[in-house]
Amino acid sequence: MSAFLVTAILLLVAVIPSGIVVARGGFPDAVVAFQGIASSVVMVLALIAEGFNRSGEFELPLLGAVLIYGSGLVFVRFMERGL
Amino acid sequence: MRGIAVDIFLGLGVAVAIMSSIGILAMRDAYQRVHYVTPISLLTPVSIGIAILIQSGWSSRSAQTWLAIGFMAIASPFLSHATMRAIRIRETGDWRLTLPKQADQAEEPK
Repeated sequence: MSAFLVTAILLLVAVIPSGIVVARGGFPDAVVAFQGIASSVVMVLALIAEGFNRSGEFELPLLGAVLIYGSGLVFVRFMERGL
Repeated sequence: MRGIAVDIFLGLGVAVAIMSSIGILAMRDAYQRVHYVTPISLLTPVSIGIAILIQSGWSSRSAQTWLAIGFMAIASPFLSHATMRAIRIRETGDWRLTLPKQADQAEEPK
């Protein structure tokens, strides 16, 4: 197993504390923790693509980086309206 | 030598992510937690991007990775600002320290 795959697994383990906040915290806390998790997952996608040596899968982190910004703004908008 | 540099940058990225994630869990409220999202969305991607750049060299892989990192680096501060603003509006009804009506009342002569 390459260092990139080990790093991807460790990054997923690093997500667990933020996941606890998402599960147990209030809505604002969960939105903030979600943003941290989403950023980690984007990097996990890049690490998996590098670890398995697949060039085509490097588009996924690029798409993810764009989509987490949009999804984050959606959650922020809902939070602003008191949902 | 290249492998050692890759391992160092990957380890740095993971260490920052783990400490920031623990920080998100340990802080009291969402305002404090937002500060710990920034290292995950800036320092960890840059560190991992450098590792991929060292491993792959100047290729489409590293270009796409750095494009994603660049977008995250630009978008993350905007998202953090919007999040803090939304939390304040949710708690107080307005993002300003004093509402315009209150400011007018404060400026009126007695």
